[in-house]
Amino acid sequence: MHMHKYEKIWLFFGIGSLFVFLAVLGVGAFAQGSQPPSCLTTIDPEKVDQTPPFDQPGLVKTGDNEYQLNIVASAFAYIPNQVEIPKGAKVTINVATKDVIHGFEIAGTNVNMMVEPGYVSSYTQTFDKVGEYVVLCNEYCGAGHHLMTAKVKVVEQ
Amino acid sequence: MKTQLNTNTPKTKVEKEPALKGTLASVLFLGFFLIFTWVSVYFLFLNRL
Repeated sequence: MHMHKYEKIWLFFGIGSLFVFLAVLGVGAFAQGSQPPSCLTTIDPEKVDQTPPFDQPGLVKTGDNEYQLNIVASAFAYIPNQVEIPKGAKVTINVATKDVIHGFEIAGTNVNMMVEPGYVSSYTQTFDKVGEYVVLCNEYCGAGHHLMTAKVKVVEQ
Repeated sequence: MKTQLNTNTPKTKVEKEPALKGTLASVLFLGFFLIFTWVSVYFLFLNRL
């Protein structure tokens, strides 16, 4: 088949970028162990309030400068809806929902998860900048979706 | 009637290469725009780590 020289150039770039993406995906998943936030841990969505650690949601110190932040999402609120985190802390955030799919985004950071009923979504983040961050639900969850927010304050130790 | 023979020599068809210079330019322009946006989003991610 005859093909124009220029056509070969852009086909090479197009197919080449496919392989680049496959390589990035493969290295991320198999060599570095990246996973989606909700991938392995499951929970009974009807018993979130009785299941540890979500029976006592909040910030828990788990080690030297390491914390766990457990949050329960439901229409249309996060519990707790105000959290203070010491600056520089490495926080593993676990979120579970009691009803429908919610989002959990700490605006201005890389924390951005989908929270599905039946799964625990987790993400570990180090908070290096002092400030007040808004937590948003970014999955439409019902009539009060736009009111579903919380606050994370990063404070000097 | 005499059958007429076609004595004309068949014209050799010269296939013209289509002019794709503009297409190449616009494809590459779009390609570099996409790469630029991917790279900037990646640096935004790294910046927020």
